[in-house]
Amino acid sequence: MALIEVDNLSVTFLTKGHRVRAVDSVSLSVDTRESFGLVGESGSGKSTILRAICGLAPISGGAIRIGGEPVATPRGKAFSRKVQMVFQDPYASLHPRHTIDRTLSEPLAIHGIGDSDRRVMAALADVGLPTGFRFRYPHQLSGGQRQRVAIARALMLEPEILLLDEPTSALDASVQAETLNLLSRLREERGLTFLMVSHDLAVIDHMCDRVLVMQHGRAVEEFPRADLAAGRMKTDYARSLFAASAERMG
Amino acid sequence: MTLLNVENLRVTFRTEAGPVEAVRGVSFNLGRERLGIVGESGSGKTITGRSVLRLIRPPGKILADRMEFDGIDLTRADEKTMRGLRGRRIAMIMQDPKYSLNPVMKVGAQLTEGLRQRDGMSAADARKKAIEALEAVQIRAPERVMEAYPHELSGGMGQRVMIAMMLIPGPDLLIADEPTSALDVTVQAEVLAILDGLVRDRGMGLIFISHDLRLVARFCDRVLVMYKGKIVEELAARDLMAAKHPYTQGLLNCLPRIGGSQGPLPSLDRDAAWAL
Repeated sequence: MALIEVDNLSVTFLTKGHRVRAVDSVSLSVDTRESFGLVGESGSGKSTILRAICGLAPISGGAIRIGGEPVATPRGKAFSRKVQMVFQDPYASLHPRHTIDRTLSEPLAIHGIGDSDRRVMAALADVGLPTGFRFRYPHQLSGGQRQRVAIARALMLEPEILLLDEPTSALDASVQAETLNLLSRLREERGLTFLMVSHDLAVIDHMCDRVLVMQHGRAVEEFPRADLAAGRMKTDYARSLFAASAERMG
Repeated sequence: MTLLNVENLRVTFRTEAGPVEAVRGVSFNLGRERLGIVGESGSGKTITGRSVLRLIRPPGKILADRMEFDGIDLTRADEKTMRGLRGRRIAMIMQDPKYSLNPVMKVGAQLTEGLRQRDGMSAADARKKAIEALEAVQIRAPERVMEAYPHELSGGMGQRVMIAMMLIPGPDLLIADEPTSALDVTVQAEVLAILDGLVRDRGMGLIFISHDLRLVARFCDRVLVMYKGKIVEELAARDLMAAKHPYTQGLLNCLPRIGGSQGPLPSLDRDAAWAL
């Protein structure tokens, strides 16, 4: 069954009197426990789709349904229990003056969930951070460690869906590998559904079952992972993206 | 011909916890070729690049047995000589256009500033030369870009503006610090082609600093692999896939590849002995 349904979604921004259509009638659907990838160049609108799902971008047309239900505006607590997002830049997405403990326990406090001591400790262990990190501040952590904290925070409310916006593009290759392995393990253990954005086709190929290629706010082509590996694309744009990525593999 | 010769370069910073050596005895030679320096964040690759221009702020200290550019001893040159070299003969493209361009100055004013001040060009000549430079880096609407502020440009455009700016004086040596990491793969290919053309046509020397091993292997002639301030391996770029050092191999193996397994990626097991 489709858990996430995006129907003819359009997002329009108004800047300096210009209308910019960041997303133009894009549809996609992600099944329960599936991992779906959005790929394209910067400015193609892929991150905007994630932001629109969370209510962080103005929807000018179309519909978003989670588990068959249209999402409420504003999104509300029930939505946060179901859907959480991990942002691209772990340097910008954690509050610089909050300890890791406060960052992780805040969602619990908002939702009135008790037992926060145990939950925070469990969350740190789950993402492979030593419990001694609990009372540190973000600036005392490396980029990879911060991204682990961001993932832990997203999982505090035990959501079904993780929206991942370039979760590893700010990280070194070795740290990227560790972070991707962590995400795969958590998906397996918790039966999570991923909607993941990346400009790196190799990362999308590694993590996702199906891929949607975007350009200039529009959906260009969707295909299963097997077709990606075999280079079976129908559109020239998807092929050029594949060629540029494959060439880099050496 | 050797353009740059570096022997036993050491860079130390004083911290509360005592002195930290960010670069620990790096030696290399550069001709009119493309030399890649790869390593993870904190490996000292950027500091190595900046040291050549002596752009390390005190109390950071640069020490070297030898650091010579085209017969000029960079360890002894006075500030006046260094100012004459910076930009004019040795240029550096910094990593992030967001932080390296002046946010309150139009691109055109930034591009022509040096030509007017340093070369005493007229406003019209400087403008003409700046537009040519923008065209050389494949910017399609150079007049419009001249009138834009940096925040009005995309990352790729900003990066190309920086490359254009560095290339106007026609330097002999270009140090490019992650010049393409903010760019999409397709734009990345264009920027690399521009740099490649400059090495070939102008006979420029290029130091290409990157954390992207595969990219460097494809683009450079020679590669230095750095780990914790030291060069752990030096090899011809075409031999990168046959790298011997476990760190280099580890960096190569931990990248996902299209059509690869979806199982866990190999992680990099660091050996304390690599840093010795």
